[in-house]
Amino acid sequence: MSVIVDRITKTFGPKHVLNAVSLEVGDGEFTVLLGPSGCGKSTLMRVVAGLETADSGSVTIAGRDVTKLEPRDRDVAMVFQSYALYPHMTAEANIGYPLKIRKTADAKKMVMDVAERLGLTRVLQSYPRQLSGGERQRVALARAMVRRPKLFLMDEPLSNLDAQLRATMRGELKHLQHELQTATLYVTHDQAEAMTLAHRIAVMSQGRILQYGTPTEIYNLPASRFVARFVGSPPMNILEQADGTALAIRPEHVEISAKPADGWLAASVWVCEELGNETLVQLKTPAQIITARLQPGPGWSFDQPVWFRFRPDRLLTLSAETQVGPYNLPK
Amino acid sequence: MRRLVLALLAATAGLAPVYWLVTIALKTEVDQFAQPPQWLFHPTFEHFQALLGNRSMEQALWNSVIAAVGSTICALAAGVPAAYALNSLPWPAGWADRIGFWILSNRLLPPIVTIVPLFLMLRDLHLLNSIWSLTAVYTAFHLPFVVWMMRGFLAEVPPEIEEAARLDGASSWGVLWSIVLPLVRPGLAATAAFCVIAAWNEFLFALILTQTGAASTLPVGIASRVTQYEIKWGVMAAGGVLAMLPVLLFAGLTQRYLVRGLSLGAVKG
Repeated sequence: MSVIVDRITKTFGPKHVLNAVSLEVGDGEFTVLLGPSGCGKSTLMRVVAGLETADSGSVTIAGRDVTKLEPRDRDVAMVFQSYALYPHMTAEANIGYPLKIRKTADAKKMVMDVAERLGLTRVLQSYPRQLSGGERQRVALARAMVRRPKLFLMDEPLSNLDAQLRATMRGELKHLQHELQTATLYVTHDQAEAMTLAHRIAVMSQGRILQYGTPTEIYNLPASRFVARFVGSPPMNILEQADGTALAIRPEHVEISAKPADGWLAASVWVCEELGNETLVQLKTPAQIITARLQPGPGWSFDQPVWFRFRPDRLLTLSAETQVGPYNLPK
Repeated sequence: MRRLVLALLAATAGLAPVYWLVTIALKTEVDQFAQPPQWLFHPTFEHFQALLGNRSMEQALWNSVIAAVGSTICALAAGVPAAYALNSLPWPAGWADRIGFWILSNRLLPPIVTIVPLFLMLRDLHLLNSIWSLTAVYTAFHLPFVVWMMRGFLAEVPPEIEEAARLDGASSWGVLWSIVLPLVRPGLAATAAFCVIAAWNEFLFALILTQTGAASTLPVGIASRVTQYEIKWGVMAAGGVLAMLPVLLFAGLTQRYLVRGLSLGAVKG
C-alpha cells in the first residue's frame, strides 16, 4: 500500500471536519476524493500532505508512519488549484526548485527531461505571469513530477482551466499517471472528472467517506441516496417507499413507449431535451418527476401521454438508513 | 483646473520653508535678514565651507549614517522574522493578534515619556555618549513599526505558495528566505525607507543620550550652532540642506515602494 489513512479525526473549533476517516491507496493507484464543497476532502488531503495536523489517527506513506513528520519529510508532491507557482522564478527555476533544495545532482537534466515530456521546453525562460493557464498548469505538474515523489496530491488542479482545456489536460494527466505509476490522491467536486480519472473513487460527505470503490461500482451500485444523487448526470431516479427504503434507477434504464403495455405505468411528458447524442425525457407521474435517457430519435411533445417501466435487473433498493456507515479499512 | 490650483497651493506651502532654508544657506549674513527680503542675490558658499571644514560636523555626519543604516538593518533583521512568525506559526487562537498588539503598544506612549528611564539605564550601564547605544535605541523604536508594516506585506503572499515550498522541501527559514522575502521586496524597501528617514531626522533622543560631539548626530550637530553668544543661521541652514539631501535622494529612489507601503490594504494588488 502506498498510503494508509487510519481513523483520522479533525475538528476546527466545534466543527467536525473529518470523522474517523480511513482510506488506503494502492501502489500506482489513482484515487479520487469526490464530494461537495465543505465535505472535508481538501482537509483530508492537507492532513496527508502534513499541512494540517489531525487531532487523532495516523497517516502511513510507503510503509512509513508520517503522522508527525513535516511536509518536506513526507516525500509527497502537491499540485494546487491556483498552481502556486513562484512568481519571481522562471518556469525552469520553478520546476528545478525541489531539486535545488535537495541539492540533487543532475538537476539540470532532470528538469529538461520533465519539461520535454510536458512540452514546456519553449517556455522554460518565461515567468509565470507570461504563461497561459494551461502552461502554468503544466509547470505546476512538472514541478511535482520532477523529483519522483512517493505520492502525488492534486487539489482540484483542473478547475481553473476552461472546459475545453480541462478535457485535454484530464486525458494528459491520466496518461502521465499511467506512465509514472505513482500513487495519486486527487480532490475534486466534479463527478465526471472523478469517473474518468480514478481507479477508485472515495465519495465524501460531512467528514466521512460514504463509499470507496471503482467508478463502475460507484456508478452501478451506489450504497446510499447521497452517492446515488451525487454521481452521474443526470442523477439517479430515487423513489421513496412507504417502508423507508427507496428504489433507485439510472435514467438510461428507464424505458418509454408511446403505447400502453402489460406492467407499464402511465405518465405524461413534462419536458424533452434533445442533446444530439442522446435525448433526455422528464416524465410527470403523480408522485414525482422521473428522468429517462434515450437514444436520439423522434422527439416527444409536451404533455404527450406515455408508458414507462424500469429494467428490473437494474433496479436497486437502498436501505432505510439515510447514509450507510463510514468506510473502514479492510481487516 | 481646481485640482491644479489646490496642488500648487499645497506645493507652495510645503516648499516655502525649504526655499527659505536653501536661500539662507546661500546668502551672506547681512543679506539673510534684509528688509524687504532680497529675492535676487549673489549666492555664497561660505557657510558650506565653514560647515565642511568643521571636524565635529564631519563626525556627526558619520554618526548619523551609522545610526540610520545600522538601526534599520538591525530592526529589519529582527522584525521581519518576528512578523513572519506571528503570521505563520500555529498560535493558539487570538494570540498572534494579542502579541502583535503588545508589540504595537510600545509605540503608543509619546517617546519623551521613556527618555528619563532610558537615560538612567544607559548611564548605569556606562553606555551614554555612544553612537552604538543610540543605534540600539533606534532599533528598539523601529521594531514595532517593522513588525506591523511587514505583517501587512507578508499577509499578501498567497499561503499556497508557502505551502508549495514546504512540500517541495524547504525549511521555515528556507521558505522565508527564498520564496517570501523576494516576493515582499517592495514592502522591505518601503519599511527600510521609513526607518532610515525616521532615524536620520531624529533629534530628541540623540540630544539627550549623546552629550559629546564624538557621539552626536547631524540634527544635534546642526542645532549646536546656536551658542551662548551667537546663532549661526547660515551654517545651520547649510547643515540643514546637507542633511536633507540623502533623505531626498533615498525617498526619490524608493518612492514607488513608499506609496505602495502607505496605501497597503487600501487597494488590492
